[in-house]
Amino acid sequence: MKTRLPVVVAFVSGALMILSFFGRGPLVDSASEVALTWQTIVGGFSLLLGAVSIVRVHWRRVATRERDRFYSLSLLVCFVVMAGSGVFFGIERGTVFERLFNTIQSPMMSTMFSLLAFFIASAAYRAFRARSVTSAILLLTALVVMLGRIPMGQLIYSQLPAWADWVMSIPSMAVQRGILIGAALGAASMSLRLILGIERTYLGRG
Amino acid sequence: MPVTLPDKQARIAGVTPTDVFLGGWLALVVSRWLLPTCTPCGAAAIAHAGLFRMERLNALVLCVIFAAAVLWYIAHARRGGTIYIRPLPGLSAVDEAVGRATEMGRPVVFIPGTGDLDEIQTIAGLSVLGRVARVTARYATPLRVPVLYPLPMAAARETVREAYLDEGVEYVDPETVQYVAGESFSYAARVGGMMLRERPAAVIYMGQFTAESLLIAEVGQSTGAIQIAGTAAPDQMPFFIAACDYTLIGEELYAASAYLSGDPKMLGSLKGQDVIKILLAAAVVIGVLSVTLGWGSAWLMAAFEAK
Amino acid sequence: MKSGNRADHTPAGRSFWDRLQTVDRRILYTLIFAAVIIPVLWPLHLPTPTTPESQAFFNAVDSIPAGSVVLFPFDFWPSTLAETEPMAIAGLRHCFRKNLRIVGLSNVGMGGPTIAERLLDSIGGEYKKTYGVDYVNLGYKANYSAVLLGMGTRIADIFPTDHRGTPIGDLPLMQHVPNYDSVRFVLIISDNAMVDYWVALVNARFGLPMVAGVTAVMAPKALSYIQSRQLLGLLGGMKGAAEYEQLTGLADRATRGMDAQSLVHFLIILFVLMGNTGYFVIRHRQRHLPLGGVRP
Repeated sequence: MKTRLPVVVAFVSGALMILSFFGRGPLVDSASEVALTWQTIVGGFSLLLGAVSIVRVHWRRVATRERDRFYSLSLLVCFVVMAGSGVFFGIERGTVFERLFNTIQSPMMSTMFSLLAFFIASAAYRAFRARSVTSAILLLTALVVMLGRIPMGQLIYSQLPAWADWVMSIPSMAVQRGILIGAALGAASMSLRLILGIERTYLGRG
Repeated sequence: MPVTLPDKQARIAGVTPTDVFLGGWLALVVSRWLLPTCTPCGAAAIAHAGLFRMERLNALVLCVIFAAAVLWYIAHARRGGTIYIRPLPGLSAVDEAVGRATEMGRPVVFIPGTGDLDEIQTIAGLSVLGRVARVTARYATPLRVPVLYPLPMAAARETVREAYLDEGVEYVDPETVQYVAGESFSYAARVGGMMLRERPAAVIYMGQFTAESLLIAEVGQSTGAIQIAGTAAPDQMPFFIAACDYTLIGEELYAASAYLSGDPKMLGSLKGQDVIKILLAAAVVIGVLSVTLGWGSAWLMAAFEAK
Repeated sequence: MKSGNRADHTPAGRSFWDRLQTVDRRILYTLIFAAVIIPVLWPLHLPTPTTPESQAFFNAVDSIPAGSVVLFPFDFWPSTLAETEPMAIAGLRHCFRKNLRIVGLSNVGMGGPTIAERLLDSIGGEYKKTYGVDYVNLGYKANYSAVLLGMGTRIADIFPTDHRGTPIGDLPLMQHVPNYDSVRFVLIISDNAMVDYWVALVNARFGLPMVAGVTAVMAPKALSYIQSRQLLGLLGGMKGAAEYEQLTGLADRATRGMDAQSLVHFLIILFVLMGNTGYFVIRHRQRHLPLGGVRP
């Protein structure tokens, strides 16, 4: 039953979603709406699971005086401050939570995103080597697109932006579509395996 | 005792008659509960409109063909038919990567993507985690699995625990699977810091990724780890190809579980999807020819129009 | 495993060409930092050519009749504000200038409604618009598929109150917008797969015309929606935002940021050429090495 019940639930849920896509009527619509609502509720409770896990792991590090316990302590303090301010004072405009989010969390997230500019430079420098004919073609195409997307490209050669647009909208698009079709078929095949109970890795079984 | 035909067919698909009975009973209970929502007016409308969305008939036909191809090849595999799957260097390198980590005495980091459990890529990543966990348990190599969402954390813990038990290892370090953060850049910061401190010998990325992929992959590259990545997100693939040693592209991620397990049922499903791919490629060629040569493409457009 | 090139060892140590393809990443990062900071302090005012997709985006929004209701999803995380906020600001300015009425919402729980509130109030104030009459912020509700599909039936079922807690029925604007039938256009700003869901669930089922502003990484994939006419226009990254700002005649942050982006692109191209130069010179020399492998 420990293995059988989750497989049956997966089968019924998957079949219900398929029925709701192809069928119509209050029965089908209500059933799928119930399933989506359950999904939202389970997702909400899972946040509690994650919060408990984080607090437990980092509290243990602080309590056992591990080497990096100060990082764990700072995490716990920030966790209590953000959660507490949101729960007790609300999250609307002008609240402590909103100010903390806009002045600390939001700039930190933007800063992490901005690191991509540096990492992409080092990745491009290391990886874009014309070791073969195909990699040389890739390199030249990348140079055309990068130059074509900036004003300097037009100053170098007026047709570069048009070439870059052509590369993005024709060959690049064709390859993306091919990959997307293949990935979609792979996802559909995996979904079928999950619904039919052939694939049970989400239960921890191979 | 000979097996009756309906039982055999059902069992081939992985669903037994008991499963169908339990599922049907569950569906009946649910529908009985929902029946009060039907009103007489609603019933009349259904009868008039019909229960089936006719505008999606083309999608249903394609789905039926797809399912039939997959089930046919699963049955073919179950009957002992040989199925050839081309080698995937990225997956073949998993054992090599873990072996390297064992020799160097450094951990293996497995990142099952930054998607939640409702993403199919996350489930594909967890299937590879099972394999990796089995190998790390066998060689007593430390394993770190940082996870972004709680549900994948629960699934990953179960996967790792079962894999360790299969190898006869009862103790699983509580630090193995960790819920790290609820946001992708916080996750990237945490995972980057972990990699810089613990200096893993192998990092494996399998699942759905967004903008944090390059951040994590570049940090992993700077530590000198061997990196294997797999994702079906086309916008993140170039970053993994630039930063990692092996990359699984698109559907190769979904094929990973079948490839690693060698289970005939799963290998059969890969062949089934290849059949559909061939049909779609033929449709593309026919479409190109019909538009180029002026045969008219309205019928082909209607066959694939999504509503 | 990828391996670096074999070093061109001279008796004196690593050669210039070998060092050229193994430059310390800290030097690269310092140069990138300089390339970003210098144009911020001393703007170059480089012109930004307009792509057909950005022009189509502008034309589509510009053709909406005055007084129409536009749905404006702020479906982006705070991390991508550098790319998405200029698009959102330019879009809001364009809409308010044309006296379009905005219904804002977000499918990103962390920060989305807050960003929407801040931008709507800020830009709405520039054009003397009144909350509840000219624009509203519905806020965030979980389960995007239920939200997008449910609004086709009745918006009040999904958002009984707005982000400020006001009942929907008390807002003059929303009294005339029961569902998608009253919405004329959708202007999506997104940094995630929500664009795909808007197209698949709203454009495909309800036929609402829409345009999208996405991050540069997502733009190649979103181009397919342009070709299939599911999106009428597309802005890609900060460049797309700069083009839109120029088309609307309101140059702002994105236009200023293009100077830095141009320099960084140029610098990355130089790095790539530098690395390949070192690689080719060393490979050429190693092919012509005498027996023994050491240069005299």
